[in-house]
Amino acid sequence: MKENSVEDFDSLFVEKRSGVRKYIILIIVLSVLGLTSIYTYLSVSAVRDRMKVAHDLAQGSPEINSSLFKQLKEKAWLESRIKMAANDSIGLSIDLEQLRIQLELKGVVVMSSKIRDCSVSGFFRKMDGNVYFTMFGTPLTIEQFKSSIAKNPFKVVEAPKDTIAAQAAADAAAKKDSLADENVFWTVKLNRGFDLDIQGIDSIAEAQKKYEFGKGFEFERNLKNIVSSFQHILKFSKPSYTPEILISIPENEAKAILRALPRNALVTIKI
Amino acid sequence: MIRNFFIYLTVLVVGILFFASMVLFAIPAFQESTIVLAGLSANSSGASDAGADREAIETDISKLQKKLDSFTPTNAYMIVNTSDNHFYLYKGKQLLRDGVCSTGKNEKLVSAERNYEHTFYTPFGVRKILRKSTNPVWKKPDWAFIEDGMPIPSPNDPSRWETGTLGAYKLEIGDGYMIHGTIYKRRMGMSVTHGCIRLLDEDLEAVYKTMEVGSKVYIY
Repeated sequence: MKENSVEDFDSLFVEKRSGVRKYIILIIVLSVLGLTSIYTYLSVSAVRDRMKVAHDLAQGSPEINSSLFKQLKEKAWLESRIKMAANDSIGLSIDLEQLRIQLELKGVVVMSSKIRDCSVSGFFRKMDGNVYFTMFGTPLTIEQFKSSIAKNPFKVVEAPKDTIAAQAAADAAAKKDSLADENVFWTVKLNRGFDLDIQGIDSIAEAQKKYEFGKGFEFERNLKNIVSSFQHILKFSKPSYTPEILISIPENEAKAILRALPRNALVTIKI
Repeated sequence: MIRNFFIYLTVLVVGILFFASMVLFAIPAFQESTIVLAGLSANSSGASDAGADREAIETDISKLQKKLDSFTPTNAYMIVNTSDNHFYLYKGKQLLRDGVCSTGKNEKLVSAERNYEHTFYTPFGVRKILRKSTNPVWKKPDWAFIEDGMPIPSPNDPSRWETGTLGAYKLEIGDGYMIHGTIYKRRMGMSVTHGCIRLLDEDLEAVYKTMEVGSKVYIY
């Protein structure tokens, strides 16, 4: 019988440690997969909850003949704009079929802009019939604004002491309100549970460049999404699902619309 | 020991990256997929005979479109974009003229010494031309003196009256706001006024001759 040497004893210990290592790696891999599965499940149930809310709101409305959907949609769009015209404030109308965004005041189109690019959540593409008319049949109301530039820039100026100070103040005030180095993007929460995002871009290439340098709208949103996802996982809570409409228009027009719209402006949308 | 630490760290980093890519791309894409969104199409019946309904709806659409069109004035009206400092003169749907203008500077002038404050902005909304006049004389209000660092004269002091400052024409739109000309032409296109809408001489003349008392001015 062979006697155990010191080397044999060490090799036994290394083997045991290698087993522990495999065990720890397996735990990490399983944890990541487990967390991903839980998060996927929670995310999907959030979408389903949102859909259920949409269905519940539409319940009780008369059945809609799908062959008349296009005509009914056009009718609802015009009715909604007429309702918006009854309001004294400036309203926003968005036609995603014709790719046009307009500012309207008492029924008069005061500004009209061609939409350069847009993306719409699958939630909107999938709905039809009563869900569509519950969402877009009447004007929506803006509940909250968030923007990268000041919505209503207002300066408070101390009156000059004499005529020399007054002249200096007048020269300083003559500086033009420039858009240089400004990223114009703004997002609004609408009262029927979805977001409208407006991004100012003067060309698709410019938008891509902004994205590359991490200054763009989507980069910021992604960063927020990932932070919020981790927060939900830590709390094991359902992440919120908010359908979105993202619209890209020229920067000066994105800025003009942002500044023209009152806090609780009405919005009419046709998808 | 150190080797093991690096192996665990690598596995952990790969796991986090996998999770991040799932959260950012895969799960949102899955959320928008047909499987998840199936069932949102409800309450729509199939394509049945809808000829009569279709005709009725199309008649309604035509009426609604006419009603919406009727909101646009048939006579001359003006649209002012205060963000870009640009104006548009229309008659019905036809653009007659457009050009640069100057609008309110969005500023609050405060004088603690004189216990005075005044806000300079161009109000948004619809206004009407209330009065028109040629060769207007400007009666300088108190803020004009405070802004210039000068003492405020009595209400009828001759120093309050100034000719030429408002250009050749003036169109009043209410609450002291006006459409007028300017001697500060290099500042056109900027937000520098005290709330009035300044136009260049030729544009002002065209607006004066086209717009009647009662014509609408849409400001945003």
